Amino acid sequence: MHGYLISLLGDRSTAEDLTALAFERLYRSRLRLDRRRGTPRAWLFSIARNAALDELRQRRRRTSYDLGENLVDDRASGDALEDVERRATVLDALASLPLRERELVLLKFHGQLSNGELARALGISESNAGTRLHRALTQLRKHCAEAGHEEVA
Amino acid sequence: MRIVPFPTDEPLPGQETWTAELEAALRGESQRPDARAWRELRDDVRALAPAMTPAFEVRLAQELERRGALEGSAREAETRMHSHDSARSPRRISTGDTSASLSGAFARRRRGSWSLASHRRSALAATATVTVALVATLLILGSHGSTPAVESPAPMQRTPGAALSPGARGPKATAPSSRSSTPTPSATSEGSSASTGAQASPSIAAPSATGAFSAPGRVQQLAASITLDSSPQNLQVTSDQVAQLTVRDGGYVQSSNVQVQRQGASEATLALRLPSARLAAALAAIARLAPVRAENQSLQDITGAYNAAHRQLSDAEAEQRALLHALAAASTEAQIDSLHTRLAASRTAITRAQSSVNSISARASTSEVEVSILGDTRAGNEGLTFHKGFHDAGQILLVVVIAILILAAVLVPLALLIAGVAGTRRTWRRYQRERALDAP
Repeated sequence: MHGYLISLLGDRSTAEDLTALAFERLYRSRLRLDRRRGTPRAWLFSIARNAALDELRQRRRRTSYDLGENLVDDRASGDALEDVERRATVLDALASLPLRERELVLLKFHGQLSNGELARALGISESNAGTRLHRALTQLRKHCAEAGHEEVA
Repeated sequence: MRIVPFPTDEPLPGQETWTAELEAALRGESQRPDARAWRELRDDVRALAPAMTPAFEVRLAQELERRGALEGSAREAETRMHSHDSARSPRRISTGDTSASLSGAFARRRRGSWSLASHRRSALAATATVTVALVATLLILGSHGSTPAVESPAPMQRTPGAALSPGARGPKATAPSSRSSTPTPSATSEGSSASTGAQASPSIAAPSATGAFSAPGRVQQLAASITLDSSPQNLQVTSDQVAQLTVRDGGYVQSSNVQVQRQGASEATLALRLPSARLAAALAAIARLAPVRAENQSLQDITGAYNAAHRQLSDAEAEQRALLHALAAASTEAQIDSLHTRLAASRTAITRAQSSVNSISARASTSEVEVSILGDTRAGNEGLTFHKGFHDAGQILLVVVIAILILAAVLVPLALLIAGVAGTRRTWRRYQRERALDAP
């Protein structure tokens, strides 16, 4: 969830605040948790998403990544240059997606949510969530392919 | 105007198969080249996000542990932080695992809380049910609260009232009573009188016996009236039982009138004479025959009249004794004739005084009791019967339903209004949030 938030907001401190906030809200609303309406994971990501969207609405700015910082981190970690370049391609492809679809991809990969959990977190039907995820991932792969990310394409 | 396109709910062709393959690939169940590419893409996307700093992870775990949501997670996070410091590899810490463990812990916590809440709900429901049952029972019994107390007065609770033995010549001492009821008696110069009465209403207790106003050395006249409820079918039987009780207690029926009608109200009236000493017991026995609708007892102090009559008798007897002495000493015919005449007058006065004393004694020793028996067709339903209980329960339920309807008439529109406002607010907030994703 922290990865989802930091990817969506591009701000570590805000992501940390919202992570704590999400868990606190989950703890407060634990008595209202109903497994028939979704898993705790979907509930948690739904809370985190709402908090993130509120934050985005307040800031009224587009999410952007500090690519340089990530690359510096990657290099500092000693990862292979090939991996760093591949991630940069993925980052560009992800950044080219509309925010709505980018958020879907982040929820899917960071939260490891199923389509049903995605639907619960987004407040839409499972079929709609599947359709939107299909389009978002297809677009992501297309952008990656266009950027020369042969492994993904 | 900005048009926000919404994807259709209809799945795209082949979407289900694509979704199944994607899920299998992400779970690592598929080893196809395409599946490996999906996993690689996922790992690349996740690697783009900086990992949760160990310090924040520890702080978060401590905060959650402080709130009781997690146990031992802070220590675990610290351990991981130290291992991370030694390894100097922030990416090795899986934030997804942390979230998953926290979420799982919350889920476990929730299940425990839910279990506790479930027990509380059950206990609350049981308590509410018991409370409602108790209230209903009390209401049912309360509706009968006056009837049992009046219709079956306990004989042991009745203190025999003031009484004089039949034929008593002197003032009789009456037993003081310890009755707790204290109605205000009205007193006159000659004969103080007091009366107690009660209607068979829920708020008025059964009438007390007149013994409450009796006093030693006083001559008192008692009277009572009692009204019983009966059914027309039992009217005659009840009247006969009253007469039998009267005779058993040493009294007699002075007059009676029984009127039974097939349609309309039936009534019986009996005028009884009962020994005052047996009045309270007799009334208690009569009250057991049928539910008591009303009861009244009165007392009149006739000590003055009794004393006056007794003085006249004493005076006349003293005069007679003096005349007899004078007659014995008389020596002339004229004196003897005159004394005989005066003796005759004295005997007449003695007879008259004796009659007066006897009359007053009879008033004191005998009580007038008027018994009215009402043959009400509804009287058969009186008493704490199952039918009456069900009827009262129905009445209570009716009142409860009416109260619920009134409450619903107020609360339902209010709840709908609140729900509408809350729904609108929720929809508006969601719309505003979704707009944040469409911001340029």
